[in-house]
Amino acid sequence: MILTYTLLVCLSIFIFSPFVLIMIKSIGKDWFGKLWLPPTLTLDWYKWAINVARLPEVMKNTIIVTGLAVAMSTIVGIFSGWAFGRRHLPGKELLMSMILLPRMIPPITYALGIARIFYGLNLVNTHFGIALAHVTLCAPYAILVMSATFEGLDERMLEAASVCGANPLRTFFHVTLPQIMPGILSSMIFTFTTSYNEFTLTLMTYGADTLTLPIRTYLAVGEGYWEVTSAMSVIMVLPSLLILFLIQRQVKPEQLVGGFKGL
Amino acid sequence: MRHLRSQRREWLTTLLLLLPGFAVFLGLFVYPFIITIVLSLRPEGQTTGWTLEYYTSFLASEHGRQVIVLTFFLAIATTLFSVLLSVPLALVLRRKLRGHRFFRAVPLIPLVVPGLIGALGLLLVFGSRGWFNLFIRDVLPFIHGPIAVNYTISGLTLFYVWLYFPYTLLTTLSTLEGLDPGIEEAAQVSGANPWKVLRHVVLPLIMPGILSGSVLTFMNAFGAFSIPLVAGGNYRPLSVDVYKQIQLFVPAHWSQACAIAVIMGVLQVVFLTFYMRVLRGRKVK
Repeated sequence: MILTYTLLVCLSIFIFSPFVLIMIKSIGKDWFGKLWLPPTLTLDWYKWAINVARLPEVMKNTIIVTGLAVAMSTIVGIFSGWAFGRRHLPGKELLMSMILLPRMIPPITYALGIARIFYGLNLVNTHFGIALAHVTLCAPYAILVMSATFEGLDERMLEAASVCGANPLRTFFHVTLPQIMPGILSSMIFTFTTSYNEFTLTLMTYGADTLTLPIRTYLAVGEGYWEVTSAMSVIMVLPSLLILFLIQRQVKPEQLVGGFKGL
Repeated sequence: MRHLRSQRREWLTTLLLLLPGFAVFLGLFVYPFIITIVLSLRPEGQTTGWTLEYYTSFLASEHGRQVIVLTFFLAIATTLFSVLLSVPLALVLRRKLRGHRFFRAVPLIPLVVPGLIGALGLLLVFGSRGWFNLFIRDVLPFIHGPIAVNYTISGLTLFYVWLYFPYTLLTTLSTLEGLDPGIEEAAQVSGANPWKVLRHVVLPLIMPGILSGSVLTFMNAFGAFSIPLVAGGNYRPLSVDVYKQIQLFVPAHWSQACAIAVIMGVLQVVFLTFYMRVLRGRKVK
């Protein structure tokens, strides 16, 4: 019994300590010696991150890119997910695993090609271009979630609606939409985290005007200010942890394995 | 006739609806991949001509071989340690202990957090002034510290395990929970001690789960990019080597980078096929 809890507590410490240290590092000052905790606390590093690293601008970029990516992949997900979920397609499973391929292969293997194509189309260093690159990873997941949602749609309710004289548009807004809303929401949450955290594809398509949070944090590592980097990391990781906290009761862990992030 | 026409219309709408999905797949995945392959076969900076030089030179060079061996070593070591960590943990987590909800949510964290942040935090924890070395100094003074973890091969493996073991753990756990408790009870009633039940009954039954989970861990570790980029130091697996070809050289070595990317992609597809086999085997049982 004691052994069991030791194992679990050790695991928790192993998992949590990086975040705790990032958090402490981001508010600590003069923490150079061999001390467990910093002698003085400060918010200076956050001020640095905001004023010197121009984090508000970076955050604006991130939100625009992520918003575009989520919107595009949700639309793709609704259309193609409907076809996958409601129609009998020959070789459906094979088609679906094909669609999911971009999530199973490390993005670095095709990121070079995307970069070259986007250079040619002048899409590099534009919000739309980066968002489009993110769609590569987001859309497959949206299609997967939406197809499962449409498959679970209650046929009898649709029939009942049309029998009661509702036209197709009315049926869609009053019967179908409420039923698929949870699916759309979960697809949006997952595409949001994928796009928000996406690093490799952004690294290949970003420019000076379109720094996103992961890229800015990575560049800060190279600049060598660990305190400021930590402050940025805290700002960056909060939404993901918040989402995990909110959804962990609703979502099965297996779903997380399949979809939370690419490679 | 009318029926036929409506059927055809139905087909047409289906195809139309599938179009966006396939446009994304073909335009943003297949086409870039083809471009990557073509670039890898072109002499650097030229638009005509074919050459296999970048493949042969990479595979024949000492550097290339080191990179490939390192990538495989990291992926295999990560998988092994993940299995060693996951099986006992899954067995423990299955017994709904007090606070199991919390302990169950803990391994989900590395799945949500970007590898970049994980790597930064781990570098802080295991640095020469990090908590790990302070712990050794204050609690285990008989070990002469500080122990170097960051930028060593074992440290890198540890970071990989932190990020990728949940894949193995979660699939093992879900297989374990799908087991019929009657089987274990039967073994116990027949006089097998707990160790024997575990060894001869439980482990063989959850083996497919462990296997499919560890293939996931393996594939993720094989393709890992941000962790070795930030915490790899001099150790560069394939993914980082692709990026360095572009970042380090002016003008960038596009052809060489693409050739390495293609090698990586081909290997990954091979693993993926293997993984699908494993999954299918699971379904049949």
